[in-house]
Amino acid sequence: MSNLILEIKNLCHSYSEHALSIENINLEIGSRDRVSILGPSGCGKSTLLRLIAGLEKPDQGEIKINDIKVSDNKNLIPPEKRNIGLVVQEKALFPHLSVFENICFGIKKNKDKDLIASELLNLLKIDSLKNKYPHEISGGEQQRVALARSLAPKPNFLMLDEPFSALDEDLKETLYKDISQVFSDMSSAILLVTHDRNEAEIMTNKQIRMEEGKFI
Amino acid sequence: MNRLTFWRLLPFAVLVVFTAPLLIVLSSLFGDYSENWSHLFQFVLFDYVSSSFILVIGVSILVLILGTVTAWTVTSYNFVGKNIFEWALILPLSIPPYILAYTFTGLFDHYGDANNLARLLLNLQNSTAIFPNVRNIYGAIIVFSFTLYPYVYLVSRSAFINQSRSMKESARMLGLNQFQVFYKLALPLIRPAVIGGLMLVIMETLSDFGAVDHFAIQTFTTGIFRTWYGLYDIQTAMQLASLLLLTVGVFYIAERSTRSSGIYTSNNSTFSPSKEDSLVGYKALTAFLICFIPIFIGFILPIIELILWAYEVNLEFFNQKFISSSINTLSLSLVTGMICAGLALLINFSIRYKPSALVQRFSSLLSIGYAVPGLILAVGMVQLLVYVDALVLSGLDIVITGSLIGLVLAYVIKTYALANSSIESGYERISSSLDDSSKLLGSSGWSMLSSIHVPLLKTSILTSVLLVMSDVVKELPATLILRPFNFETLAVSTYIYASEERMLQAAAPAIAIVLIGLIPIVFLSKMIRSSRPAH
Repeated sequence: MSNLILEIKNLCHSYSEHALSIENINLEIGSRDRVSILGPSGCGKSTLLRLIAGLEKPDQGEIKINDIKVSDNKNLIPPEKRNIGLVVQEKALFPHLSVFENICFGIKKNKDKDLIASELLNLLKIDSLKNKYPHEISGGEQQRVALARSLAPKPNFLMLDEPFSALDEDLKETLYKDISQVFSDMSSAILLVTHDRNEAEIMTNKQIRMEEGKFI
Repeated sequence: MNRLTFWRLLPFAVLVVFTAPLLIVLSSLFGDYSENWSHLFQFVLFDYVSSSFILVIGVSILVLILGTVTAWTVTSYNFVGKNIFEWALILPLSIPPYILAYTFTGLFDHYGDANNLARLLLNLQNSTAIFPNVRNIYGAIIVFSFTLYPYVYLVSRSAFINQSRSMKESARMLGLNQFQVFYKLALPLIRPAVIGGLMLVIMETLSDFGAVDHFAIQTFTTGIFRTWYGLYDIQTAMQLASLLLLTVGVFYIAERSTRSSGIYTSNNSTFSPSKEDSLVGYKALTAFLICFIPIFIGFILPIIELILWAYEVNLEFFNQKFISSSINTLSLSLVTGMICAGLALLINFSIRYKPSALVQRFSSLLSIGYAVPGLILAVGMVQLLVYVDALVLSGLDIVITGSLIGLVLAYVIKTYALANSSIESGYERISSSLDDSSKLLGSSGWSMLSSIHVPLLKTSILTSVLLVMSDVVKELPATLILRPFNFETLAVSTYIYASEERMLQAAAPAIAIVLIGLIPIVFLSKMIRSSRPAH
């Protein structure tokens, strides 16, 4: 395993008093690892990603990114300071911004933002959509834009939460191929959450099964 | 102060400012009681209570009949004009009760236009009056009912639309006729919604000053005004205001609880909307009249009378005073609209950004101002400004009592709920995943608000500014009391002209108020058209 980029120890989290959504999770991801977490709906996969991203606070345990403690039950470094990319199923593109503006959103202060955005548009084969708005492009194209937007700030690692589940099978196959190529070209780690074993096997080289908030 | 503390403290700080005038008014109950209080208690308090009671009962009955029957007619039947009546039935909401009261006396007084016309047509003597005197409590009941029934109409129509056709058809199969289906089944089922609408009507009735003052009816609001401006006794005025505030508080709590209890609706997944029966002949005419009469009395008649008055003075009303009143009104309403929209935006953002059950509960209290009569707010605001002048600003040689600050603050407290409802519903349409993405891309707090939320909420912000503006333009009692010396708004000009019985001159500012009051009606009518069962 390469240098650790993500280290999770004894992580627990619950949304209510009586039900734990995440129970005693331990995980280590190296800087070039491509890991997927497989499990049925409601097993806690998305909650785990939200905890890593800093969008939720854990009840117990700790999360380290690049050997810096970012979450425990007392301290929480906010999401914007973690340098993590997250792509979700609903894409969450900003509807009032063009494709280009969406991609540049996280690198507004970077003087090379135009160059970075152009490279990503090219890499993800969406150059022609540069000036379009999210509602003017298809679901698969939206997912490519969301991925480009997450990659633009050059995150420590990228998390994908069921990114392809809303797309049809033909489109998925094309995206698997294209995006796997993008991941191969990238130097950052990837953590994919999905319920689709085929997707997990194509996109990542290590699969972990999760059920009822626990790794099994 | 770090930014997390700022977002958490903001709703509490605003709540302190919003409730301060009300707490000052209520605190008067624990102060000294003057001789004026004893006099009021012995001789007139009973009149205030009984007039208010009769008014509330009369208006409630009439409003329930008008609101539910018209709503049932437009949702259950198809007849000529039905598509227009659906939204036109809310037009009377644009006429403040005091303007309908002024036009009513102009029409139905002994030498009013309606009696003059009737005498001319029937060739009667000048001493004969066909229409009865309306300057009494019965006239006031009619005025309030025909301007406020849309509150009940709106909720009833929405509830009737949600009633399943199969339920009504089952009732017909079990032997109920159309009318029995209405009063034995459909009406009891929408009871919680109707009660919610009725509570709003009662609060508006109790809060009114202009109409009851014009009809010389002794109610709490006229009593508070006379105690303050006639007896110059603000302590007793506040004690009277406290009683009214407590009464309104009961109806406010009742209205909130009916909201949480919801309405009885079909939870059947095979729900089918009600089918409209097509009417012809005398049945169609009856349905037409049922819907037309409330619009005629509550909107068409006063508009005709106002236009006739304006026509009689040619363009003379378009003078310096009218222009300055219009500018004052528009500036005040625009400033208030922008403050309310800004506050509602910040507070809704703070709730979303740092969710907390406590903050949410306190924030919902910020909307309490809409239930508080303008007169009570004004009384509390004057006292608050006096305290601020004496305790905070005395060393700075600044006096804010009698300035526009108090007036704008009172408007903001009174109309914040309107801005909040628009921005709140706008926020409900923005997915929280956009916030997550924004945070992960390094944009949170002010940056997220300005670059994501504000652009996405543009329409909601504009709507909230317009809604507040249209309400501020109509506001009378708080403006009358809190305005700086010689500062007139359209509502104050209308009131002053009407109290001097110069109705022709009152027409122009009154028409301007109605025109601006039509703004929210346009929004509502759009919603009504898009909420038809077919959509």
